[in-house]
Amino acid sequence: MSQLKYLVIYLSLLVALVLMILPLPDWVQIYRPNWIALTLIYWSMALPKRVGLWFAFFTGIILDTSLGTLLGQHTLPLLLIIYINLNFYQRIRVLALAQQALYVFVLLLIDQVIVAWVEGILGRPTPLPTFFAAPFIGMLIWPWVFVVLRDIRRKALLR
Amino acid sequence: MKTIIEVRGATLQALFLIGLCIAMMVVDHRFQHLEIVRTNISLALSPLRYLVSLPATGGNWLSDWFTSHTELLKENEALKSEGRILSARLQKLEILAEENARLRNLLGSSRKIADDVIVAELLSVDQNPYSQLIEINKGSSDGVEMGHAVIDDFGIMGQVIHVNPQSATIILISDPEHAIPVQFIRSGTRSVAFGRGSTRQLELRYLPATADIMVDDELVTSGLGGRFPPDYPVARVTAISEDKVRGFVSVLAEPKARLDSSREVLVIKPRQ
Repeated sequence: MSQLKYLVIYLSLLVALVLMILPLPDWVQIYRPNWIALTLIYWSMALPKRVGLWFAFFTGIILDTSLGTLLGQHTLPLLLIIYINLNFYQRIRVLALAQQALYVFVLLLIDQVIVAWVEGILGRPTPLPTFFAAPFIGMLIWPWVFVVLRDIRRKALLR
Repeated sequence: MKTIIEVRGATLQALFLIGLCIAMMVVDHRFQHLEIVRTNISLALSPLRYLVSLPATGGNWLSDWFTSHTELLKENEALKSEGRILSARLQKLEILAEENARLRNLLGSSRKIADDVIVAELLSVDQNPYSQLIEINKGSSDGVEMGHAVIDDFGIMGQVIHVNPQSATIILISDPEHAIPVQFIRSGTRSVAFGRGSTRQLELRYLPATADIMVDDELVTSGLGGRFPPDYPVARVTAISEDKVRGFVSVLAEPKARLDSSREVLVIKPRQ
């Protein structure tokens, strides 16, 4: 029973995954925020003991499989930002939501840069102007993600 | 409070996992060993994928449901007449195919005429906006194999790069990583068409300046390399640019297949 309440973490990640692979028109796609990264950042901030690097690793592999990218292409940046987060979460947790959003923007940008890097190595350079769009949208969405997931966490009595 | 040992443990773990990721990417890019991992995870996630393509399918279904009676009648009439025209053309084609086979027999060459096909539908279009991958709803249980060519009603679309039991991933000919051996119908010149990341353009590089090429020339698969069956339409030449210094010509061509809008595709099984 005590393990059952952790299901909400998996469910929230499943919803994030659906949002990641939901078909959208071409022009909207570059604005799609990295829902998986946002969700993982929240959980690793709230429950760093439970949602750590291995968690990020397996989530990343599933993400890579569903997106059809190289295994590891989205996993590596996820690991990196969760690692950064695990080192800073105590300082970030007490900040105001707007300040947190800036921090999340930086993390999402790191993620985006690494994914684009690998694409570049594979011979598909990413046009630069489209680069900041997704992390920016992610930053705007962060306060809502935070509030929704926090309410879910409280309802599920996770701490 | 975290102790120093705890932090160092996390760092080691992070370094280990990041190393593992890099190794996996290299292996996945160069070899096929990780295909089994991919297949199993895809299989587990396949309900999710159907769920995701549900809104589009549902939308189609609804619009079908609400199409008015008269429109249906009109459409039916149009389809019937199209069917008649097509069957008339087909008769002609069959005669031509027979004649062609006879002539080939005379020449002593044993080129196959027809290939087996599997009809498939698109699931969701892949989400990485910079790569050109699509997902179809037929997989190894339907006989789809790695390397099979995929076409729509107008021409070559791409080839199969990953196979799962119930679905398969197609790389489009417009992907920058993809190249397809082609031949000009008019002049017979052979070349290779590379993708450029746009669904409206292919590029043929380093053709000799003396090559006989004109705008509007048709390109078909040459069958060299053994991946694509020969003589399927690929593209039409839209622009020719000459590099006077180095004496090369490079050609831009527009794919015949509707890479961005076809929903039904055919997977071609090469005959043994």
